[in-house]
Amino acid sequence: MLTVTMTVNGQKVAKDVDPRTLLVQFLREQLNLTGTHVGCDTSQCGACVVLVDGKSMKACTMLAAQADGCEVTTIEGLAKNGELHPMQAAFKEHHGLQCGFCTPGMIISAVDLLQQNPDPSEHEIREWLEGNICRCTGYHNIVKAIQHAAQDMRS
Amino acid sequence: MGVYLRPRALDEALESLAGRALTPLAGGTDVYPAHAHQAAWNGAPDIDILDISALDELRGIVEDEAGWRLGALTTWSEAIEAVASGRLPACFEGLARAARTVGGVQIQNRGTLAGNLCNASPAADGVPPLLSLDAEVELASLAGRRRLPLAEFVLGNRQTARRADELLVALHVPRPQPWAHATFLKLGARRYLVISIVMVAAVLEAADGRVARARVAVGSCSAAAQRLAALEAALVGQPCDGSLADAVEPAHLAVLSPIDDVRGSAGYRQEAALTLVRRALNELDGHRREAAA
Ligand SMILES: Cc1cc2nc3c(=O)[nH]c(=O)nc-3n(C[C@H](O)[C@H](O)[C@H](O)COP(=O)(O)OP(=O)(O)OC[C@H]3O[C@@H](n4cnc5c(N)ncnc54)[C@H](O)[C@@H]3O)c2cc1C
Ligand code: FES
Ligand code: FES
Repeated sequence: MLTVTMTVNGQKVAKDVDPRTLLVQFLREQLNLTGTHVGCDTSQCGACVVLVDGKSMKACTMLAAQADGCEVTTIEGLAKNGELHPMQAAFKEHHGLQCGFCTPGMIISAVDLLQQNPDPSEHEIREWLEGNICRCTGYHNIVKAIQHAAQDMRS
Repeated sequence: MGVYLRPRALDEALESLAGRALTPLAGGTDVYPAHAHQAAWNGAPDIDILDISALDELRGIVEDEAGWRLGALTTWSEAIEAVASGRLPACFEGLARAARTVGGVQIQNRGTLAGNLCNASPAADGVPPLLSLDAEVELASLAGRRRLPLAEFVLGNRQTARRADELLVALHVPRPQPWAHATFLKLGARRYLVISIVMVAAVLEAADGRVARARVAVGSCSAAAQRLAALEAALVGQPCDGSLADAVEPAHLAVLSPIDDVRGSAGYRQEAALTLVRRALNELDGHRREAAA
């Protein structure tokens, strides 16, 4: 067993884990943060994307131990004081989801995109989402939602 | 259940490697999918792991007279950023372009260049651009350090010259002539997140409107990516007047030995490689003429 300490959604946590615990397992099974999904076993789908020290990463390609000392933000950490994050609000408003399975990863990836590029073109959005797979929406409304969120967040 | 070590100092890491066989783990973007796959999703890899991701000595990019040293933990995202900010010059543009096609942003944020080389897939996108830059790998073990040209390091499909007691600690790229530009072209079923069918990387150095040196590498068309030495020799001294691509003959690609697989036939790969090599040279020739104009 190994003790890992990190800040998850603003709260400090310290837990003993089997060193091989993937970050995504740690979040879901130890912290009960089941908003971070698991959609594949090949690190392709992007359902598990979280922010680690502000950057989007696939939580299934890293161990909890590798996030030791880091700040982690999951989908549960985006809303503030009961108010949806503008990206969440835009996904809701513009129907950026159907079954919702890919949505947490999509939203976190999109939040990272806007941190780096507050005014992305449609092409830049689609390129950025290359590592997030959605089997329902055809991506159209996801792109639209991100464009609107970008507008809202700039104004 | 296997061992898991995450040392903070390189010496400590090398000591544990000397004692027993351990799988180094950097970004994990090759290790996990390969192992997790077999053990179904929840069974994290049951292999003995030496996690090198906390070794700060393996981070960072430094420049000196001879060229650049890229620490083994340099990620694709860091390479892209270094080229975009001008910390790495135009001859790294091919590497940056390759980086942008690797696996999507989240994989670029974790995956390392060194991991890509050590994994030694015939379709590794980092190999052709680094071959065309004449990169060397620096290997460390308790017995000392050694440097190998990349072509002598990546030996074949999943085969490298790394001994089990060694870690790749850095990549070294020698400084080219003052005017040096680079490119990278990849053919896949789509642009990103696919295994390449063919990729071509080229670095062109020019002086007085002529080719001083050209370095061209082709990946996914042999067990390990190959430089096209015959073509490189034929290009030296050619004028950069828009005709460079015409110098490419099919015979220059004779060193390639593409295979048939689900992604394409051998004949298709050979043909595509020829086209991409011509396009790459044409593009660099164009850069040269713009610079001269
Ligand atoms: C969804 C997805 C898409 C991908 N797309 C691409 C793509 O388009 N093109 C491409 O080329 N690759 C792709 N990859 C593969 C992978 O991301 C890259 O090869 C990456 O650069 C590997 O780096 P890493 O740090 O994650 O390696 P790891 O998985 O940590 O290690 C890879 C191998 O190298 C060894 N190793 C790592 N570092 C060292 C070191 N310093 N010394 C000695 N041995 C070491 C490990 O033991 C292991 O065998 C993709 C992977 C995924 C999951
Ligand atoms: S679970 Fe599919 S990318 Fe992580
Ligand atoms: S909404 Fe169903 S997978 Fe994207």
